[in-house]
Amino acid sequence: MKRSSPVYFVAGGTDLLTSARQMPLVGTLVDLSGVHDLAFIESSGADIRIGGATTIAAIAAHTKLAARFSALSQAAGECGSMQIRNRATLGGNIANAAPAADLVTALILANARLKLFLPGGSCAEITLEEFRSGTGALIAEAVLPNLELLPRSAFAKLGLRRDLTIARINLAAMAEFSDGRFGSVRLVAGALGPHPIRLLRAEGALSGCPLAPASLRVFVDALAADVDAAIAGRASHCWKRRAIRGLGLDAIARLCEMSPRDPLFDETW
Amino acid sequence: MDQVARRIPLIDGIEKVTGRLRFTADRKLPGLAHSALLLSPRAHARIVSLDPGDALDLPGVIGLWWHANTPKNGYNSSIWYAGQSALADERMFPPVVRHIGDRVAVVLAETEDIARAALSRIAVTYEDLPSVLSAEAALDHAGPVTDADGPTYLNPVDEIAFAHGDLESAMARADHVAEVTVRTPRSHHCAIEPHVCLAWPEPGGRVAIHSPCQSVFAVQAVVAQALAIDPDRLHVTKAPIGGSFGGKAEPILDPICAFLALRSGRPVRMALNRQETFTSTRTRSAAYGRMRIALAADGRILGRDTEVLVDIGAYCTGGSYLPGSMLQRLVRLYAIPAERYRGRAVYTNTLPTGAFRGYGSPQIHAIGEIALDLALCDMGLDPVAARVRNIVAPAARDPWQNLPLGNARGADCLIQGAETFGWTGRRAERKANSRFRCGVGMAVATHINGCFPGEDEASTATLRLLPNGHAELVCALHDLGCGSDTSLAQIAAETVGLNASDIHVAAADTDTCAYDLGTRASRMTYIVGEAVRQAGIALAAAVAEQAALALNAQSNEIVLRCGRATANDRSITLAELAAWLSTRGTDLPAATYTHRATANPGSYAAHFAEVDVDTLTGQVRVTDYLAVHDVGRAINPMLVEGQIHGGIQIGIGYALYEDVAVDTGTGRVHADSFARYTVANAPEMPPVRVLLIEEGEPTGPFGAKAIGEIATIPVAPAVVNAVNHALGSRLTDLPLLPDRIVEAVVQIERQG
Repeated sequence: MKRSSPVYFVAGGTDLLTSARQMPLVGTLVDLSGVHDLAFIESSGADIRIGGATTIAAIAAHTKLAARFSALSQAAGECGSMQIRNRATLGGNIANAAPAADLVTALILANARLKLFLPGGSCAEITLEEFRSGTGALIAEAVLPNLELLPRSAFAKLGLRRDLTIARINLAAMAEFSDGRFGSVRLVAGALGPHPIRLLRAEGALSGCPLAPASLRVFVDALAADVDAAIAGRASHCWKRRAIRGLGLDAIARLCEMSPRDPLFDETW
Repeated sequence: MDQVARRIPLIDGIEKVTGRLRFTADRKLPGLAHSALLLSPRAHARIVSLDPGDALDLPGVIGLWWHANTPKNGYNSSIWYAGQSALADERMFPPVVRHIGDRVAVVLAETEDIARAALSRIAVTYEDLPSVLSAEAALDHAGPVTDADGPTYLNPVDEIAFAHGDLESAMARADHVAEVTVRTPRSHHCAIEPHVCLAWPEPGGRVAIHSPCQSVFAVQAVVAQALAIDPDRLHVTKAPIGGSFGGKAEPILDPICAFLALRSGRPVRMALNRQETFTSTRTRSAAYGRMRIALAADGRILGRDTEVLVDIGAYCTGGSYLPGSMLQRLVRLYAIPAERYRGRAVYTNTLPTGAFRGYGSPQIHAIGEIALDLALCDMGLDPVAARVRNIVAPAARDPWQNLPLGNARGADCLIQGAETFGWTGRRAERKANSRFRCGVGMAVATHINGCFPGEDEASTATLRLLPNGHAELVCALHDLGCGSDTSLAQIAAETVGLNASDIHVAAADTDTCAYDLGTRASRMTYIVGEAVRQAGIALAAAVAEQAALALNAQSNEIVLRCGRATANDRSITLAELAAWLSTRGTDLPAATYTHRATANPGSYAAHFAEVDVDTLTGQVRVTDYLAVHDVGRAINPMLVEGQIHGGIQIGIGYALYEDVAVDTGTGRVHADSFARYTVANAPEMPPVRVLLIEEGEPTGPFGAKAIGEIATIPVAPAVVNAVNHALGSRLTDLPLLPDRIVEAVVQIERQG
């Protein structure tokens, strides 16, 4: 394709084609939604591979993926509305690069890598953190390296309402958890900055600790400290530093397959 | 009776769900020209110059109009009859723009895309003027802001004061005086159909306007004022409407659309997109209320002192009526021996306000009911018991207008509602010191039935027998989607012995219908319904007279039922009767009746809500809901329930989510899309139970009273009161966004 006219890739079109946004007036729109080879979920091999044009609904519904990395399945299941999930794609959620993109938070948690088709025709593989949108690269697939995955994971988000809502914060958690005790813990939160960030204080607070009110209390305080470090001074800071405690407990409850209304969590509070 | 009090589906329901109904935006007219509006990016600015650039040279552009080449007549978009006196401060295109989203220019072109592309070629030079962006700021400047201000744009636009009884002694005698301030947000209607209008030239120098509106005669009056032409030159027809809630009560596009049709000689379409509907139409006004309530130890309200400040935005519209409307509704709820009220409405450089389901009632009852709950809470009094003690009794009169309130059944709503909801037990159990807190709250409200004692509160209905034995109802009817055509057809059918589906409802048309105020002020069932009932009785008498001749019987022996006239053992269908009359050269029977209102009874409601509040995230879920309504009698219980369900959805949004949120620093509308303006969606809806109190209103058709607006009025205070119960908080700034809840919880925790 000639470089003179800009090329825009579109798959679900849920960001580019909605009438609230100004469509580019010149350029070429390339529809990827019919490219069969870009829509797949390969979860039987060592690494998990997901095609860029895979719909979010397909990701949410994939049981083998859920068994290995439920944070991504849950993020997909809570992204937008059913209508949006049926059209929107993994690649689009990454390329649109919204700070609150639900899937990106879960993908960063897994240290996902991206396989790209570059404008010249070559290929490249980069980490998701290295990706910048608007470079003309096409997201062919996301790779979730097996070595990075921990046995359990979960996702939780807070918006203004329960469904069809843009996250004001989202949180993805991954951990080793057995016999009521956490091993390694990894946490990533979205909408606390331009890109999702690791919550290192909270990870440190929970790693190696039992699932018990005392350690959860230290954990939620550490979550608030992570928020303080990220957005102190912002208008939303007061709410987010408290809300993340609730969100953190929601994610941990989900990861441990418990209800956030379990008395254990109330004792934390 | 077999048509009234029945769950009959919408008479236009099948057309709607099959997509056969043509909305205005679906209409394709030959030679249709399209338009796009240039809207102001400035809150208050003089337009120094407008350079069209090459906009007029773009292929397909027909013309460009702005303040320099359009009529300069001032008008008020809220008037409902020609010559009505109201501050005429609006212009099609003003030389001084007064809010972000105000109209600067319009382009007419062969397609909407071309018209919108042309807008981007226009360069406007603005000279910014000082802007007033909050009601409080508006009070600080009494004089004109610019040399163009006066006699309009002076604050306050309206001020009303009322005193009744001895307030000072009530305050002195009280066991407790509580002072509470409440803020209600500016909210938007969110009709699925954005604003749209069609106009085309008609022979004889006339122009046709086809518009989803709430009154064809109001459209005619406003457009005539804006264009300074004889109203008779305007032929207005009501289009099927995709929701209004008051948002389409005022013609916004119609004057410009008619002007463009006259000027270009073409059929013209104007259609706003969603963002423009948010920034350039109307909103419910934000209000600030301060109330002092004097309570006796037994829960009697001894006196009440209310001060209300209403931000009506950049143009007067009907905003100057708001302080009076609020007073009217406030004093019809409780019997209070001493009352003082001061209401002020002020201009600001923000988007204009107008009707939105209750016209002041949602604001004033939110203020009154939240304040009363907190006052009762201070004294440890039960909210239901105290309200039962104070609520007006049947046949009471209000202290302001001294009007009888009719068969006011507020106490029945409270007592039966509390019983059904299990109020006493649920109020007592409150789990504290848990992350998730459950609470229950309630609120009552009253609303009007029509515009009486307004002198023009009347409606004229014509019913005529059709050759097929059905009947046609001609009346300037504007069903806004709530089903008023269906319930009025039921009333007509009941009186003449037909089925509701046999009543053909003619669309409102200024050329063929008698004058009517339109759908406003909860008047359709109570006022128009009575006109239809009386016309039906008269038609039945006329039909019986002819049937008596056909059946060789006395007219008083004729029974009209199921489309037949029967006397003794002889019977004839109305279709056969119509054929028989035609062969004899006799006109088919018809009857017209004009009903002039003689009363304005109150509708009453008590709502009960249960909420679950997350004290960490500030999220609120409404988990159970009971709405009890004094409707006199439900003409169609299914449609009444539908109105209540929708009212609860809007009210939950008002309580928890919805705020247009105009930036008080810049005047910019923050929530100008559904991404930013959060409404309650289906997952936010609680299970809803509806209980109807049907004790009959003697002045209403078949005993019926209004439901449309009151359905949403008690919702927000009931939800807020439930949250305050759950948290032990004193939250009074709506909506209760998570941030506000968290702030309150943190404050309560600090106080320990």
